[in-house]
Amino acid sequence: MTVVVSAEKLTKTFGSHRGIVGVDFMVAEGEIFGFLGPNGAGKSTTIRLLTGLSHSTSGTAKVFGLDPIADAVEIHRHVGYLPGELALHPRLTGQQHVDFAAKVRRMQDRTFLHELVDRFQVDLQRPTRALSKGNRHKIGILLAVMHRPELVILDEPTSGLDPLMQDEFERLMRELVSTGATVFLSSHELDEVQRVATRVAIIKDGHLVVTDTVEALRRRAPRTIEFSFPRTVDPKLFASIEGVQVVAANGKRITLALRGAVAPVLRVAAELDPLDVVARPADLDELFLTYYRDQSAEEPVDAR
Amino acid sequence: MRADIALIDLRLRRRALLSYVLGMALYALVIVALYPQFKGATSLDQLTKNGSTFAALFGATGSLTSPSGWLDANVYENFLPLIMLLITVGYGASCIAGQDEDGTLSLATILPISRRAVVLQKTGALTVQALLLAIATMGCILIGRQFDLSFPLTHLAGLSLGVALLGVDFGLCALAVGSTTGSRGTALGVTAALAATSYLVSSLAPVIGWIRPARYASLFYWSVGNQQLANGLSLASVGVLIFVGALLTLTAVAGFRRLDLR
Repeated sequence: MTVVVSAEKLTKTFGSHRGIVGVDFMVAEGEIFGFLGPNGAGKSTTIRLLTGLSHSTSGTAKVFGLDPIADAVEIHRHVGYLPGELALHPRLTGQQHVDFAAKVRRMQDRTFLHELVDRFQVDLQRPTRALSKGNRHKIGILLAVMHRPELVILDEPTSGLDPLMQDEFERLMRELVSTGATVFLSSHELDEVQRVATRVAIIKDGHLVVTDTVEALRRRAPRTIEFSFPRTVDPKLFASIEGVQVVAANGKRITLALRGAVAPVLRVAAELDPLDVVARPADLDELFLTYYRDQSAEEPVDAR
Repeated sequence: MRADIALIDLRLRRRALLSYVLGMALYALVIVALYPQFKGATSLDQLTKNGSTFAALFGATGSLTSPSGWLDANVYENFLPLIMLLITVGYGASCIAGQDEDGTLSLATILPISRRAVVLQKTGALTVQALLLAIATMGCILIGRQFDLSFPLTHLAGLSLGVALLGVDFGLCALAVGSTTGSRGTALGVTAALAATSYLVSSLAPVIGWIRPARYASLFYWSVGNQQLANGLSLASVGVLIFVGALLTLTAVAGFRRLDLR
């Protein structure tokens, strides 16, 4: 397995402010690696360290085995980057942006670029100030992938895109990976990541709380059970059961997140004469919300 | 070395630059055209008689009715440096720090180009802008030969080079401060304060004795404040201005290499 990106005890602080602390992960060649976290968790800070835009306070980051600062030019030759807050020159057209990047990259073959323009229906002729957010974002996508990079780093890549374009973009990511590229996909949208990523890392308050495959996370994700009772019940009766978390308790209705066996729950519920029960399969959303809400709710897991 | 970053910056600034250059050229034409009406006005020289500090504040010392005195007092010691600095300091503060603040700098810094090359290309764009204004103004002043303004051509060329180097140096100062701090406002503030002090020192040095020794620390003195139109721009002046520019470029490169970008 070839490691394309690695971070070891990667830390960045801004004076007394936390950035990221002791972040460890690695991304293998040819995978789509999802990097999840709520706003302000440290996703963009991590990306800036990987792209050499920012200097780490301590720890190491490697891209293609190279140092992101010292070897920035060599790394940038093979990396495409879509920033989360894309800023374009308002008075320049998309074509001028693309020409500029193509010249600096000494890109001779523009076949793929033209294909992308058609696929995403990119308006390259008008000044970018006259374009909608989604259309500006499409120019950002072109700039990130037009040179067929070996590593694509995407920060909230589908924000501003309509659903059709989001689908098209997901197809593009899969195509890039099928040709050997690696994708580092940062997002706060679980749906977006779980559709395409093979592995994910979750970052919260600057700390990595879990790194695992989507499948393994799904297996660990809690099932949801909702009971309706003829009278008000004490949620503590369920909260004391191992592997059970009371998600919501509204008098006669109670919602549980269940990680362990279902029998102990059913035994307690049966004593209370339930009127109805609804069980839903493993809920990845709930697992991620658990990580987002409370880091201590889960032990940090690294299943690299 | 390629110049893609310099070219795109020049494209972004072409409207503002063109406006400044046309405005300055028009002003220069008016000044040379007015000279025949003032060359005999000996009362004008009373303004600077006995080393008037008030006149010196506006860059006017010595005879105002001689060709060199007229051009120095109306163009080269005040108005042209002001416009020059508006262009170059504005660009110097915005080309790294300003672009980083508005997020557009990463369009270039994520490309396979070193930070040193980015600074050098922006230095190139800065120099082009300064030379354009200096040459356009020189062209208009040359027309003044039709209006009784006589001066050695080499002296005018030297003075134009001096004012361009003055602009480049203060622009590089803004670029260096911006590259080191990442703050456009700080770059503008620090450079404006330095430029204002430098101007005052050079302007008042001829009339205030205790300031006189400090004139050697003023870039205005080396570029426009030592009667360069009458005496020519010395090689020492060119050397000082280029040396300061080189030092500021190195500072900018060193600062930019350490700067965390957005």
